[in-house]
Amino acid sequence: MPEYTLLTALAVVLVVTLDLVVIRTRLLATLGFWLTLTIMWVFQIPVDGWLTRLDAAIVRYDERHFSGIRVFFDSPIEDFGFGFAMVLATLMVWTVLSGRSTRAEQRRPRPAARGEAEAGMGAQGGA
Amino acid sequence: MEPFHYLLVLVACLAVTAPLEWVIGARVYRRPRRLALTLVIAMTPFVIWDLVGIARGHWDFSPRYPLGLDLGGVMPLEELLFFVVIPICALLTHQAVLRLGARLRPHGRLADEAQRLGGSPATGSRRGEGARRA
Repeated sequence: MPEYTLLTALAVVLVVTLDLVVIRTRLLATLGFWLTLTIMWVFQIPVDGWLTRLDAAIVRYDERHFSGIRVFFDSPIEDFGFGFAMVLATLMVWTVLSGRSTRAEQRRPRPAARGEAEAGMGAQGGA
Repeated sequence: MEPFHYLLVLVACLAVTAPLEWVIGARVYRRPRRLALTLVIAMTPFVIWDLVGIARGHWDFSPRYPLGLDLGGVMPLEELLFFVVIPICALLTHQAVLRLGARLRPHGRLADEAQRLGGSPATGSRRGEGARRA
């Protein structure tokens, strides 16, 4: 299997395992995650395309190192797996740092961080 | 404009998502410490992956579009910024989805997730929760 394809598959398996089994943020079980991922993927089409389209490629992919399947504007299909892993990893870490999880009720809340205290004071813009 | 093509798209991503923070009220930029820590922890493996990809020849950068500072001679500045900008977009999108969902259906699934995932639900139930904790 080409290396980029292999690394993408590994990354996807790893973040899914972390989310569901190890850290148990269980974002994959939330509607918000899937809506977010859908929006991110839709925007990835033009953004990634801007970088990869073969008539004006800023980033050039070596055909020997991915599946060879290019989608939309010549983006290697693996890029969407890379995107999935990036989005899930980001939301996972943010969720852990917020001291909550999808099972927050079962956990002791951590002392409020500065940002939380601020939110608690009702300093939200436009709310 | 050719030298700025990559930078341009990153700036566009930030511009397009900015209203999510300042109009819809996602609280991502306003939690700078959590944001910085999230970026460092979540993106380090992906930056390493990118460096491996460059080193192994999985991808490279076209000389037709000169990029910014060549960090350490291996990665253009824009490529590193990619790992700052895209996760910010993801966080803003997620928080905005939760907030909008909570506003649309205060007792719906997204409202519930907003509360549990550390968002700032538009329903104001965060304050009540804080009081419970205290």
